[in-house]
Amino acid sequence: MEKYLLRRVLHGIISVIVVVMLVMILIYSMLNRNLVFAADSTFSKLQNNQKTVYKYRKWQEYGYLYYATYADFVSGMIRTGELTEEERSEANALGVKPEKDSDLVAECVEKFTQTYESQGYHVVRLDAVMANRRKQATGGQQQLFAYKDRPLFNRLISYITGLFTVDTTHAIEGELVGERGLTFTLHDPVYGGKFSPAIIGNGTKHKYLLYFDNKFPFIHQNLFKINLGVSYTVNAGVDVWDTMTKPQGSYVTSMITFPTGLTEMSADDLHSAVYVPGSRESSQVFMDRFTDDYTGVATVKSGRSKMGYSFVIGILAVLLSYVIGVPMGIAMARKKDKWLDKAGTIYIIFIIAVPSLAYIFLFRAIGGKAGLPMTFNMESASKLMYVLPIISLALPSIGNLMKWLRRYMIDQMNSDYVKFARSGGLSEREIFSKHIFKNAVIPLVHGIPASVLGAMVGAIITERVYVVPGAGNMLTTAINRYDNGAIVGVTLFYAVLSVVSIILGDVLMSMVDPRISFSSKDR
Amino acid sequence: MQMEEKKNITFQSEAAGLSDEELFSRVDHSDLESEKITAPRYSYWKSVFRVFFKNKVNIVFLAILGFIIFFSYIYPQIAGYDRFGNLLDASAKHLSPSKAIAKFGFSLRNILGRGASGQSTWDAIWYGSRISISLALICAAINMTVGVLVGAVWGFSKRLDMFMTEVYNIITNVPYILVIAVMILIFSPTFWTLVFAMTITGWLAIAYFIRTQVIIIRDREYNLASRCLGTPITRIATRNVLPFMTSVIVTLAAVEIPSYISYEVFLAYIGMAMSDRSLGRMIYDAESSMLTPGWGFEFWSPVVIASIITVALYVTGQNLGDASDPRTHM
Repeated sequence: MEKYLLRRVLHGIISVIVVVMLVMILIYSMLNRNLVFAADSTFSKLQNNQKTVYKYRKWQEYGYLYYATYADFVSGMIRTGELTEEERSEANALGVKPEKDSDLVAECVEKFTQTYESQGYHVVRLDAVMANRRKQATGGQQQLFAYKDRPLFNRLISYITGLFTVDTTHAIEGELVGERGLTFTLHDPVYGGKFSPAIIGNGTKHKYLLYFDNKFPFIHQNLFKINLGVSYTVNAGVDVWDTMTKPQGSYVTSMITFPTGLTEMSADDLHSAVYVPGSRESSQVFMDRFTDDYTGVATVKSGRSKMGYSFVIGILAVLLSYVIGVPMGIAMARKKDKWLDKAGTIYIIFIIAVPSLAYIFLFRAIGGKAGLPMTFNMESASKLMYVLPIISLALPSIGNLMKWLRRYMIDQMNSDYVKFARSGGLSEREIFSKHIFKNAVIPLVHGIPASVLGAMVGAIITERVYVVPGAGNMLTTAINRYDNGAIVGVTLFYAVLSVVSIILGDVLMSMVDPRISFSSKDR
Repeated sequence: MQMEEKKNITFQSEAAGLSDEELFSRVDHSDLESEKITAPRYSYWKSVFRVFFKNKVNIVFLAILGFIIFFSYIYPQIAGYDRFGNLLDASAKHLSPSKAIAKFGFSLRNILGRGASGQSTWDAIWYGSRISISLALICAAINMTVGVLVGAVWGFSKRLDMFMTEVYNIITNVPYILVIAVMILIFSPTFWTLVFAMTITGWLAIAYFIRTQVIIIRDREYNLASRCLGTPITRIATRNVLPFMTSVIVTLAAVEIPSYISYEVFLAYIGMAMSDRSLGRMIYDAESSMLTPGWGFEFWSPVVIASIITVALYVTGQNLGDASDPRTHM
């Protein structure tokens, strides 16, 4: 069994990687890369050569290509000693046209061209754009740079190796306040010196690597981190995983004692402190509060995360659908061809055939008439706003459960073991609940992990109709805003969930039904 | 004499409280008849339609389907539809049915009011229905044909099974929306792009379903016997398995065709509408009108029509699927 599972997991990992590769081919190779600038306001303001340079710089950031500027090359030459520091400004002064370069510049440009062309780069030189004989046009400065398209496998490998990061004491370069290393304390200073074990790092990216607090799940860590990929446009610079899991809503302030001893009302979460180089020097605010450069703190917010809202609504909808769908399916099978069965069948047809959009709006209108809140509001304390999204989400799964459970139970009703049980004098009730149900429910058990994990993903239409700040719209917004990083990250997340839920479904099924076994030895 | 006998029997049966069919009747021996080996004449498709039309619900839904097809394919040709005919008339925009009738007089055109550019909502929904139904039918035709053919080969060939299952596991994990969005972005959001986008990976799920069905039937005893007798695999596929699959395929089509209409509506709602004024595009455009009092018809008309079309297609298809199962022909 373990061997089989291990094989399945490895298999799953490979298919997830292939999925990521396919998605990368789709969005990096097949889509026109100029599309990423469609919603970029900076891009539309720039002109001439500056626009071109901006384009290549952004493409580098987005992972399309490698990009090297002439200025960086000159700095590199100074570092290696080929040029002196005094020659920097002279070497950097490109001529408006190649013919007008000074001897030093011409030499450097020659070297630049040779170095990068030998590595397979394309060297691009843009001559100055002149507005008139003397004056350069806006953004028309002469430019020299080299670029090389990034190969797919290179991008894939660096993405996959960057998925998990472990914080080490050598994560931060340069001088630190105090000694590099880890300290273990039983009395967390953020907790006012009360008993609360924590591991504090110096030289690590996060200050608190492991700590306890009074919020679920009580023990928290910053040591391992999942990076699904940095978003470019939707939530620029923030990792997709953080976008999904970071709380939203308004700030929650409380009395906080900062490392310097300053106490004030603040929403800062000191446990989340991240190293920001040079930040303390640059700001008096940080100077007053922090004793080192671990100043990048997150804030405590009142709402749940995107995934949190989706999961709460999703999991309650799943519970509701099993609580209603399973008894309804049983009742339909027992009362086959009676009015209950017919009514149930009409409901199933309605749910399957009618576009989901139509019935979600219909139930929204009905719920609105009944006085339930029709839109979601993070700041509201009312729990009633959860009702309609949960119902809307549960409706289709109730229909599905009813349909399949009825079908499986009716299939079982003609089996020999049922006839035998009946001839043995068991009551119909007993036969249904003890024998038929147990056999009929096995295929449905397979779907339980998928529906539970699927709750994390969120629902696109339901969340949009009820304005739920959930994770359901992440993929569609990412697509609409050409956010390649987010698309890859979200797809990976979906693929992992679906692979895991199928494996868990198989395991659960073999636990429920002893006849199903995956290892060939047991067979 | 026969008449008399029959009367007699009728009389007797009435006396026993039983109808004619339930009683034995006397059959005289005939040498000629006894030489014949006969079974009741059985024609598959005739039986299918006999069973299908026996259910009165089907006639109602067929009538609804006929009505829908008439209005979406023939009515726009006769009546003509000009979306921008009233564009310059500000007083013709966003009219509720009663106001539209008051302004333009009573006609079929005005019974659902007027839309954002003064167009008749009634005409617009049928124009949109034609695009949506055409999209669904074309996509279903392509996906079902490719899916059934590939699925059949997939089910019979064990070597292909390993490879195709792998492909299936991978492709199904690539979000369908993403594939469609990329196709729409590469090409332009036209009707045929959407057809291409929905069929490029859409056939795979159908092929997988058919493959599973084929595997179930493939190893039944009668096929094993057939194989032992030396029947070639193609003949087993076309003569032994395909008839069994007919009802499965029809039932699947009943689910598939409406699902493309629903999916088009869904895509349009999340902002991936095609440039043609399909039902989904209408719903997307009219979403903001939903909350404005008096404009509700612009939003609800396409929603309701889409629902009616999908339900009619689904119910007819399901019942046709049931009727095409030979076990119901008794």
